[in-house]
Amino acid sequence: MRYSYHRPASLDEASDMAAALPNARFIQGGTDLMVRIGQGRERPGHLISLRRIGELTTIDANREIRIGAGATLSDTLAHPDIRRRLPALAQSLAALGSRQVRNMGTIGGNLCNASPAADTAPPLLVYDARVEIRNGRAIRCLPLAEFLLGPGKTALQAGEILVAIVVPDPPEGTGSAFIRRGRVTMDLAIASVAASVRLNGGASIAIRVAAGAVAPTPRRLTAAEAVATPTDDWSRAAIAAREQIEPITDLRASAEYRRHLTGILVRRALTMAAAASGQWSIDR
Amino acid sequence: MRIPVRFELNGHAVEVEVAPDRTLLDLLRDTMGETGTKEGCREGECGACTVVVDGRAVNSCLFPAPEIDGTRVLTIEGLSCDHGRLSRVQQAFLDASGTQCGFCTPGMVMTAVAFLAENPAPMDTEIREALTGNLCRCTGYVQIVEAIQLAARRSRDPQA
Ligand SMILES: Cc1cc2nc3c(=O)[nH]c(=O)nc-3n(C[C@H](O)[C@H](O)[C@H](O)COP(=O)(O)OP(=O)(O)OC[C@H]3O[C@@H](n4cnc5c(N)ncnc54)[C@H](O)[C@@H]3O)c2cc1C
Ligand code: FES
Ligand code: FES
Repeated sequence: MRYSYHRPASLDEASDMAAALPNARFIQGGTDLMVRIGQGRERPGHLISLRRIGELTTIDANREIRIGAGATLSDTLAHPDIRRRLPALAQSLAALGSRQVRNMGTIGGNLCNASPAADTAPPLLVYDARVEIRNGRAIRCLPLAEFLLGPGKTALQAGEILVAIVVPDPPEGTGSAFIRRGRVTMDLAIASVAASVRLNGGASIAIRVAAGAVAPTPRRLTAAEAVATPTDDWSRAAIAAREQIEPITDLRASAEYRRHLTGILVRRALTMAAAASGQWSIDR
Repeated sequence: MRIPVRFELNGHAVEVEVAPDRTLLDLLRDTMGETGTKEGCREGECGACTVVVDGRAVNSCLFPAPEIDGTRVLTIEGLSCDHGRLSRVQQAFLDASGTQCGFCTPGMVMTAVAFLAENPAPMDTEIREALTGNLCRCTGYVQIVEAIQLAARRSRDPQA
């Protein structure tokens, strides 16, 4: 027997178990963790399942959109408010893995796993999401950008539980979009970009860009945001984006290709986001 | 430490004890002896192990066995229970040559069953999207898409 398995019914119980059990890991969908255990890359003594904790799976869209960390990728994708108010997030979910993976995997698991290519991260960064973390009986909040620290590394301390992702409602007139390129449909992204644009009669009011799989963490591309102007076909933003990433060469693509691709994806994502804002047309 | 689980397997109540570090795939094949569900990659990539839990297709190779407690599971063995007659989707795979070596077939069929329950009149592109998580080394997928279309047509018109 490699590990024992625990199914607490509440967050308090889960926190207490994590404090008491040595070498314990939380598990939600298991689509990252079970693979790594199977490959021998991780050898926990105890798995603490969060799947029975009902409050982790609720999605509340009354004012801000609060997505429980344990909501499955499928349920998040199917939620009408997320499709309507956070379309770039919905697009990233539709591109993630397969149906089977989306039926098991969760949005919290995607962020806690902290892959540089985590597909939900660029849209959530663009939407200025923050995360709610349970530490024993206390709750703390962090901007998502401060939560993702490096490949496989988050701001979670031992025993802390990611409880929810909170997304402010984008202001009226905001358009947003996500695109990614991978070798085949079901593979991690070579590069991914999310963008949001709010325009006022063709002049920009607010522009946000974030990229995945081209730096140690998914990151906001503030340099691209600063120079982005709709009047120049977004090419200045694309050039700035290429300079603000730190791509690596791996089995999926070379660093040079990732840099090239990021520029193109930034331009396309901004074009799509501007079109979605309803304030601008693609073929001006 | 073994963990007692109670669940419904293909319409029958089951009570067994599972080791904590086993998957649903191990439980089905090794404990229950139901070997229709296949093991390909054990990494969530190939879909040969697909079964339907509470109406949703999942990779049983990544599904911790203790989590099966309280669920309803449908596997390939549960489809043709009607005196050995094949289910609509199985028959369509046969008629449209959607199966060659057959190793991917149980997973393909279970994905199709869950998908058609959600989308009874799909477009080909939607079927292809639904099959993202199921690999086939033999057919080239064209006949599999046709088989699923055939099953969908027959559910509307049994003579099709
Ligand atoms: C075939 C396949 C294809 C995939 N394709 C993609 C893809 O295209 N894009 C992509 O981004 N990902 C992909 N993934 C990765 C994975 O499916 C996602 O990252 C998924 O969202 C993980 O969620 P989970 O609930 O399954 O995580 P789990 O495996 O349960 O957990 C992942 C990690 O997070 C920790 N954790 C989970 N929940 C919490 C919590 N509430 N608090 C603290 N820590 C927690 C766990 O301890 C573990 O370290 C793929 C996986 C597979 C198997
Ligand atoms: S054996 Fe489960 S997906 Fe391949
Ligand atoms: S029929 Fe052989 S793998 Fe699909």
